[in-house]
Amino acid sequence: MPPVVRLLAKRLGTSLIVLVGVSMLIFTIARVIPGDPARIALGPNATAEQVEALRERLHLDEALPIQYGYFLRDLSRGDLGISLYTNRPVTADIAQFLPATLELIVVAGLMMILIGLPLGVIAARYRGSWADHAVRIFTLLGVSAPSFVWAVILMLIFAFYLPLFPIAGRIADSYAIASVTGFLTIDTLIAGNLAAFGNAAWHIVLPAFALSLSGIGQAARLTRSNMVETYDKPFIEMARSYGFPERRIARRFAFRPSLIPSLTIIGLDFAAMLGNAFLVEAVFAWPGLSRYGVAVILRKDLNAIVGTVLIISAMFLLVNIIVDLLIAFINPRIRYSQRAS
Amino acid sequence: MNRISKSLAAALLAATTLGAAPALAETVLRLDEVPVGELDPGKATDYADSILMFNIYDTLVIPAQGGPGYVPHLAESYEADGNDFVFKLRQDVKFQSGNPLTAEDVVFSFERIKALGQGLSFLFKNVDGAEKVDDTTVRFKLSQPYSPFVASLVRLPIVDKKLVMENLGEGDGEMKDWGQAFLSANGAGTGAYKVVSHNPQEETVMAKNADYFLGVADAAPDTVRFRYGLEAATVRTLIAQGEHDISSQWLPPEVLKSLAADGAQMLKETGGGAFYIKMNTTKPPLDDVNCRLALASAYDYASGLKMVAVTDDVAQGSPATGGVPVGMYGAKPASAAMNRDLEAAKQHLAACKYKPEDFNLEISWIGEVPIEERFALLMQANFTELGIKSEIRKLPWALFTEQVTKPENTPNISQIFANAVTGDPDTLLYPMYHSSAAGTWQSPEYLKDEAVDAALEKGRAETSDEGRQAAYTALNDRLMEIAPSIYAYDRQSIFAASNRVKVPALSDPAKAFGLDGFGFTFRLMEMTGE
Amino acid sequence: MKRAAYILVRNPLSLTGVILITLVVFGALFADFIAPFPEHRGAVVDFANFNKPPEWPYLFGTDLVGRDLFSRILYAYRISLLLGAVVLAIAVPVGVTIGLVAGYIGGWTEYVLMRITDVFLSIPPLVLAMSMMGLLEPTLTNGMLAVTAMWWPWYTRLVYNLTRSEKEEGYVLAAEVIGASRTHIIFREILPNCVPSIVTKMTLDLGFVILIASSLSFLGLGVQPPTPDLGSMVADGAKYLPDSWWLTVFPGLAILVAVFGFNLLGDALRDILGVDQ
Repeated sequence: MPPVVRLLAKRLGTSLIVLVGVSMLIFTIARVIPGDPARIALGPNATAEQVEALRERLHLDEALPIQYGYFLRDLSRGDLGISLYTNRPVTADIAQFLPATLELIVVAGLMMILIGLPLGVIAARYRGSWADHAVRIFTLLGVSAPSFVWAVILMLIFAFYLPLFPIAGRIADSYAIASVTGFLTIDTLIAGNLAAFGNAAWHIVLPAFALSLSGIGQAARLTRSNMVETYDKPFIEMARSYGFPERRIARRFAFRPSLIPSLTIIGLDFAAMLGNAFLVEAVFAWPGLSRYGVAVILRKDLNAIVGTVLIISAMFLLVNIIVDLLIAFINPRIRYSQRAS
Repeated sequence: MNRISKSLAAALLAATTLGAAPALAETVLRLDEVPVGELDPGKATDYADSILMFNIYDTLVIPAQGGPGYVPHLAESYEADGNDFVFKLRQDVKFQSGNPLTAEDVVFSFERIKALGQGLSFLFKNVDGAEKVDDTTVRFKLSQPYSPFVASLVRLPIVDKKLVMENLGEGDGEMKDWGQAFLSANGAGTGAYKVVSHNPQEETVMAKNADYFLGVADAAPDTVRFRYGLEAATVRTLIAQGEHDISSQWLPPEVLKSLAADGAQMLKETGGGAFYIKMNTTKPPLDDVNCRLALASAYDYASGLKMVAVTDDVAQGSPATGGVPVGMYGAKPASAAMNRDLEAAKQHLAACKYKPEDFNLEISWIGEVPIEERFALLMQANFTELGIKSEIRKLPWALFTEQVTKPENTPNISQIFANAVTGDPDTLLYPMYHSSAAGTWQSPEYLKDEAVDAALEKGRAETSDEGRQAAYTALNDRLMEIAPSIYAYDRQSIFAASNRVKVPALSDPAKAFGLDGFGFTFRLMEMTGE
Repeated sequence: MKRAAYILVRNPLSLTGVILITLVVFGALFADFIAPFPEHRGAVVDFANFNKPPEWPYLFGTDLVGRDLFSRILYAYRISLLLGAVVLAIAVPVGVTIGLVAGYIGGWTEYVLMRITDVFLSIPPLVLAMSMMGLLEPTLTNGMLAVTAMWWPWYTRLVYNLTRSEKEEGYVLAAEVIGASRTHIIFREILPNCVPSIVTKMTLDLGFVILIASSLSFLGLGVQPPTPDLGSMVADGAKYLPDSWWLTVFPGLAILVAVFGFNLLGDALRDILGVDQ
């Protein structure tokens, strides 16, 4: 078996165990807390009989392990139950709101790489200079405020006082774009509607930037410290003495080895972004999972809470597996050490 | 620059310079409401649901414009027959599907709302059944004299039976799911607007129904975009930037103030409801009437009103005069406004069997209504002057409606905006104060008072205006005596609107309807073309 | 000690960190004396002065019931620091112990403990805390509980990795040879060598706990009024943008200042204690 496949199999196996743990944890939390989900779901005017009927339908009167058994049985059929809040299958709700959130996170992730890594490189190359200090302050500020504070500040400056960007939503009402991928920036291109693409892109800039600021900070700081470390290695000295131009040394010899830890951080940051997206979406009225998530939590909508958390965790694990595989491809040492073990 | 990036740049530039959207020939009205819109008319309860219901569906009667009472709408005429009511239907009405409206649809709609037992179905508790007499005649059989019945018909939207039966979802029994799956995403009415798309958490898009039986004026909006759950700051900016037309009534007064200063018009809906501060009469110390009276006298009514003032002459409330809002049967005149009286409060407190230092009142406020936090703080400050300690607690609406089902879980003090869902005082006061209705979000007082029950029962049985007037006057007097609630202020809903739309029903008292939400009948609105 | 002082003073950023944190802690501790309106921490209403922009004597303006924002921010710092301290006081011992045990003992113990840790780590922290807060009563104690639940695994993971490398070191092997007990080796030999990393992380984390707690209360899942809380102030104020900007901007900046300060301080400590990233 090729080592990468074995790595993949091992990571998938562990992830599955972790996911079962997540489902048990969140399932238990959601059910042992006071408050009757059936009563809340049926609203203020329901009769006691209606509440009892719904409790029965949801198996709420059974023992916890039995309820969990029902849950697993349904899950194996791809069924996460009906949301008591929207009266629709949880999977349909999530499928509807997830793409908007994912699009936001992907764009924020791109910003994190495209802004964070170059900033780190600059800081490392000119370490000790004013540029280094400026980058350090910028990156520290980035991680020092919650993304909702940045969202509010960016919105205040760039949408209220200087109305350069729209303040809410994903696209102007006037565009009707067929949903293919759920990512509006891609769907508009598929539809060949460049004006709509521009509009969608224009809407995503501010929220994605607010979301990416802390990631930019971390990516830049990590790239810098790794590059600084690499700069001290003998092979850089050697490259210098061979007369390689400084630019080439930076790009070829110092940057590439620093990429691996940065990739790891991006994987971990994905988790933070999934959480922070909740806050940024609330500020920019971004129609993603956030409003749904907060609403179902406040309404004690059991199926929806369990489903949402499960899907988010699964995505997080998936991204980290992908990152691990990427690293294995980039770095032969990891690739081979896997073979040895 | 290569070709692709050039055209991308051009697109971005076009987007930024054009601003929102390319100009359209059709007129679009954009408005917003609180988080979720329920499209199923059998489950409609709140303001957002009502707006959907009043536009997509029609009812047998509608409130009269510019005055009290109700006029036939889908009905041609109606008459009382003993306890029963007999309705003759119009023959020229077609559903949006093209199916003609018949007596069967009316019977089906009634039976559906009873079978689901959700939403406002409690209004029809005294109705035993609806019966088709012939294709255009329906008889409603009532179990007892119930004068608010005609008023409650504004909450019985008529559903297209044939269409629903073709689209039944999974379920047990002959009627399966009663079309719940279908009606939660589609319209099946006769209304002036059709559902184009519906996403309960994002927006409902509606388009004019060209075949409406009364016709729709050209000036009425062609398309309506009804958005859910927008933040106050977003609405405020969208209106200022010309990208939104009518706000919800839930904007905080400060935001309305800013919008008014920017030149937005203030639409107004008066009457029909009030802001009640409700006291749990089953738990100490508020099970003692003197303690309740002390709080009612200590509450600072004037400061409360000042909080909801928008401009000098527009406010989200007017002074309350008692348990019955001004303008309804039995209300005291506007001159008899409630006032703070700290001396009286101290006397009442002295007569109360509990000592103030033993109190720790739990004052709750509904998380979805931020202004209630300020009222909670006001009360806390007011009661502190009597030496009463209190604790403020934020409750999400869903949790609140669950907690009030048990008296021991119900907070000492809850804050409720209540209105008469049919415009009749019975639908405001009976669910709040009748002992049989205790334990809902409207009745966290758990009031059990024989005099109140008697007056409420008399109010719904009496058919003459004088008789009802007398019943509700007696009720109001009793409510003042036993103070189950603090009558904080009579509610006025204020909506900020752009100048792109005229809404006579919400700006001209002579064209107003005596039913909350009915002012949002889109066919009666006029787009100005600005 | 001298070296530490030298590093702190030489680097202007570290110095800034020390100053910021001193100010924040000082302001929180002595809020009763510094705040111009100490009574405004609680349920006070003053409708004559509500919603005022920054002007004397209201340094940061007043809120919607007329309370001085500057005073409330000082008291909010008090709550935030308390919350941060309590969360770390619970999360660090728990996380560190599990990490030490898993790392040193290995085998099935390690497998089970680390998979449990993975479960907690694979739910996005904010989502986990939100789920707990949404289902519990929103009080300060429960807020601390929810944040603690998401915080300990990070210490487990840190200490676990440190322990795994430390246990191959000569001094541990020596202790094993002379027959020292497991408890002795874990807590007397390995733990002291992890302290610098733990202390550095704790300093940084004080800032991040404040940040996460404010995120929770931003979503309405935090401390209840009238107790001042930075996150809820930002959330409540955001409804009144852009007109009443001071309601949002000053509490937002207050969070920024505190977290920024702890970050600078953490960086400085890292240099002083010589901890790798």
